[in-house]
Amino acid sequence: MKALDQEPLDLIVTGVGGQGNVLASQVLGRALLAAGYQVTVGETYGLSQRGGPVMSMVRVTQEKVMGPVIPAHSAAALVSLEPLEALRVLGTYGHPGVVVLTNDRPLLPLNVIAGADRYPELAELKQALSENCAKLYWLPATETALTLGNPILANVIMLGALGATGLLPIGAGEMEAALGAMFPESKMGVNRRALAKGAELAAAA
Amino acid sequence: MGAAAELPAAEACLDRLLSQVIAEGLCVACGACLGLCPHLIFLDGRVAAPDACGLSEGRCIDLCPLDPAPEPAARRQRLHQALGSSYLPPIGPVQQAWQGRAPAADLQGKAQYGGVVSELLSLALEEGLVGEAVVTVAGQRGAPQGARARNRQEVLAAAGSIYAGGGALGELNRALAEPTDHPLAVVGLPCQVLAAANMKAHPRYPAAAQRLGLVVGLFCTMNLPARALRGLLKEEGVQGPVLKSDFPPPPAGVFQVWTQAGLRELPIAKLRDIRFPGCAFCPDLTAELADLSVGACEGRPGLNTILVRTPAGAALIERARERGRLELEPAAAESMAHLKQAAENKRARAAQARTERQHG
Amino acid sequence: MADLTKLTPGQRTLLQGNEAIARGALEAGVSLAAAYPGNPSSEILESLADSAASAGIYVEWSANEKVALEAAAGASFTGLRAMASMKQNGVNVCQDFICNLTISGTKGGIVLVTADDPGSISSTNEQDARFIAKLAELPLLEPSTPAECLAMMRFAFELSEQIGNLVVLRSISRLSHTRAGVTPGPLPASRPRPYWDPKVAWHTLPTVPRHRVMLEKLAQAGRIMSAAGFNAYRGPERPELLVIASASSALYAGEARDRLGVASRVGLLKLGCTWPLDEALLLKHLASTEQILFAEEVDPFIEDGVKALYAQHAPELGVKRFFGAATGHTPPVGELSPDVLASALGQILGREPATVDPAYLERVAERVAALVPPREFGFCPGCPHRASFWAMKQVLAVDGRDGLVSGDIGCYSLAMLPTGFKRANAVHCMGSGPGVAGGLGQLRGQGFTQPVITTVGDSTFFHAALPAIINARWNRSDFVLVVLDNSATAMTGFQPHPGTGQTATGREGTQLDPETVLKALGVPCQVVDPYDMQATQQALYDAVQASGGVRALILRRVCALVQNKRGGHPYTMSVDQDKCRGQDCGCHRFCSRVFRCPGLFFDEAAGKAMIDPVVCVGCGVCTQICPAGAIQAEPRKEAAA
Repeated sequence: MKALDQEPLDLIVTGVGGQGNVLASQVLGRALLAAGYQVTVGETYGLSQRGGPVMSMVRVTQEKVMGPVIPAHSAAALVSLEPLEALRVLGTYGHPGVVVLTNDRPLLPLNVIAGADRYPELAELKQALSENCAKLYWLPATETALTLGNPILANVIMLGALGATGLLPIGAGEMEAALGAMFPESKMGVNRRALAKGAELAAAA
Repeated sequence: MGAAAELPAAEACLDRLLSQVIAEGLCVACGACLGLCPHLIFLDGRVAAPDACGLSEGRCIDLCPLDPAPEPAARRQRLHQALGSSYLPPIGPVQQAWQGRAPAADLQGKAQYGGVVSELLSLALEEGLVGEAVVTVAGQRGAPQGARARNRQEVLAAAGSIYAGGGALGELNRALAEPTDHPLAVVGLPCQVLAAANMKAHPRYPAAAQRLGLVVGLFCTMNLPARALRGLLKEEGVQGPVLKSDFPPPPAGVFQVWTQAGLRELPIAKLRDIRFPGCAFCPDLTAELADLSVGACEGRPGLNTILVRTPAGAALIERARERGRLELEPAAAESMAHLKQAAENKRARAAQARTERQHG
Repeated sequence: MADLTKLTPGQRTLLQGNEAIARGALEAGVSLAAAYPGNPSSEILESLADSAASAGIYVEWSANEKVALEAAAGASFTGLRAMASMKQNGVNVCQDFICNLTISGTKGGIVLVTADDPGSISSTNEQDARFIAKLAELPLLEPSTPAECLAMMRFAFELSEQIGNLVVLRSISRLSHTRAGVTPGPLPASRPRPYWDPKVAWHTLPTVPRHRVMLEKLAQAGRIMSAAGFNAYRGPERPELLVIASASSALYAGEARDRLGVASRVGLLKLGCTWPLDEALLLKHLASTEQILFAEEVDPFIEDGVKALYAQHAPELGVKRFFGAATGHTPPVGELSPDVLASALGQILGREPATVDPAYLERVAERVAALVPPREFGFCPGCPHRASFWAMKQVLAVDGRDGLVSGDIGCYSLAMLPTGFKRANAVHCMGSGPGVAGGLGQLRGQGFTQPVITTVGDSTFFHAALPAIINARWNRSDFVLVVLDNSATAMTGFQPHPGTGQTATGREGTQLDPETVLKALGVPCQVVDPYDMQATQQALYDAVQASGGVRALILRRVCALVQNKRGGHPYTMSVDQDKCRGQDCGCHRFCSRVFRCPGLFFDEAAGKAMIDPVVCVGCGVCTQICPAGAIQAEPRKEAAA
């Protein structure tokens, strides 16, 4: 078990209900636990699934048992499946040293669809994120997922990207093994490709 | 001049329609605002708009004949001017006045009085003067609704008066929105004829100006809300769908309803109790803004009175005579005098109602 | 969920709090588990259901929570171990039974699990169900980690059998939906054979003497619990401040203490057994400090209990200062967090929690305020409820008599929001929709002319709506009952219910359909597909216009999420950009602005509506609302037949 650079290593996975946020955080949790770490994964769902913002908190330590809630402004990394949610969560959990990985594909809130609110220009959003984090990975995860045949794979692509940042004490192999424990082998081919694509995107960012 | 800048902040058009017409109980379900946009819905003779539209330059309120804002005489004067005719109350511009009937066998027993409207529409369709005619038919629950007739058979299916607000102009709006260019005819009550004139004169409704080729007006005694009429008929034990109904000319004082079970007559006072409150403000008995108007002929149950108002109306009548479709004779002077008197009375009642409303 | 019997004893595994509760029950030898679904409790029974075949036990989704607990009690009377799980609202549903069961007592270990929802993450309220323990004088356990969920469940069954009474275990959303490493223990080799000696009767008479016995059981439970090791103290011998905390709040308090760097000044007494309170332990710690802070969610349950205990012993304890909900140091509403407790500790001890560069905070806050709009909850793409509430909105508008909709509990509770066109005028609890409607429908004689519709889901219909419908039918109330039948308990994760005919474990059940039940009650009933907007509006209008008595409309269309799993929806949608009228008179963005489906948006640059192919599921409903016929539905090639 590799020593952690920081203790606890606090990660946030956020997005919109239905994007596979819980699955992504569960893969992280399983992979880290298998590597011998203490992991606490706090999930928010329920009503939040119905189009609202969702967030999972993954807390990693060597020994200590952590609560399921990360204190404000102390996440080490923020993985967002939707760009607007990245900035929303950055507002509460961000700090100058946070690393942000976000899918660049917007999902419009209903209030934006209705014309009651405005979705920011992507350039504005990208700038606001990059100016307020240590490093921004602005990744075409949904677009890449569509080339793999299913937009839902954006979550696994983002995991692949996270694995390639060097922030985790584990690598792609552990995540693949965790996915393997959750999916039948017939679905693992596309999941492996998604992990690899994510790593490529992060390396190129 | 900066006139536009001096105008008060524009209120959403639909909000005005809702607050000044519908919430005030003035709506007579003519349908002028229907079919333009999805915000306005129509069911069982009622118009409603559940959601805000948010536009201030919509057409709905502009087309509404019940919009209480414009002064009625000034509005009608402006419309006559725009249509190239003259404002001549109490029965409007009249180039020719006839009384007569359509002799065709298939009309007998179906159409109102002399069957003139059905015959004229049928002729206009057959000879390609118009591509479709918007008429009123009995729809769901017997409530009237707009429909389009493309041939004689479809015209006959709509024959006979329905004295209930049917929203038929919604069908006209839908027809005008289609990407075709054939002219259209419409048959309507005076309120609907006023709305049709609003359409033709509206600067942002070019399709109406270009395609509304024939407007046939009907003399109107009273218009009834479908739901209330259904309730009244149920209360009076009138069973089954209404096949035909009529307000025979005075002094009958009754409302006649034909169903499968035959004829029933109800005292006219009962109908007054349920009529659209908005009808009280209508000064127009004979649909003054039509190309031609048709109604009952006093003392001659089998005939219609026909007022020809515009060149288009005159041309159609001339064609019908040539083809032997109508048997016409000049309207009797005495009956015209009575018609004018009745129209004058309606005008006076409307003016008084408006005054009373304005002064609380 | 997965078969929890397959876990390897001794091997640490990532388990959700709810799964750990289920595993604990399996390890304790539970023989019958019953529940009604409700966030955040549902996964407890789901994972038991998935383990039922391997474990050889009986697991069911019950029609409601009261039935679930009664079933569990039946098993307990035969000597088996049994449990019922539910969300906090469910405890109210079975409260009558609880308050009698506690007097009759029980035999086989029986545990009631309530999963509360502080912060109301997925509930209509954030009721603190711990009060059932005080009300019914039952032992109460509050785990703080998934590992403790497992351990406490094992203990709870033992405790229940030792005292001969029901035991309550209370989880919360943040625990039920937290995953952490849990080390499972062994499963029992066998379970007892059920038998109920007919000479034995379980009842409450004579009540007063039995009440006395019940209190003795509670006192006995207290003694057993104090030795169980679930209450623990960490900190200096004489702390400047003592924090008394339970559940997740105990972890938050520990983290807050560490972050503030005050570990040497603050003691943390974590209570896992919160009713009855361990008086000896509390008195000992009260004597060791002058200041006490309470950290618990939601109500001051421990706080008030400790204060009452203190009042009894004030002469010997001397003056103390208490902080908590009463003083505003912790909020009496919503969730706690490490930040809330750091701020409370800091306030009491005069320490500023360390924070990041204020300039950064200001800058980010400004960007968020400027750029990030809220994200409203809404019906899913393809949700039949959107079409159903559209019809209600249209029909009540055209009806014109200020009609009302008395709502109920389910996804369709969201009808109170813009996604349901704000067409729910009242939403309270399971079954309250037709109950409230029944009262309204009796006011005709007093001049109440507004039409009344009530909406109940298919699962809600069987759960608690039936008595209200029977009452309305009996007393001849006047309203329209709309059953929003999406063939799923959708809100809580698609569990089966009486209307689906399936059971928790996949065994064939008897399918009950609402129309047969309604017809048997003499309620006229029509079934319509809400996707057919015209037909739905006509049927609903007719029902609203009719008067006298209860008349029902079943709007039946399977939940869009279930349909997605069954092979998807039939269409590929698109917007004909030439036909779309955009913002002009004649439309004004009607589909996106008013209909509000997540899959259909307005492209500002093009000035036209567009389908978002990533979001749209292809239900085809929106073709019916476009005035220009611009929204097109192409049959999807690979669509399921």
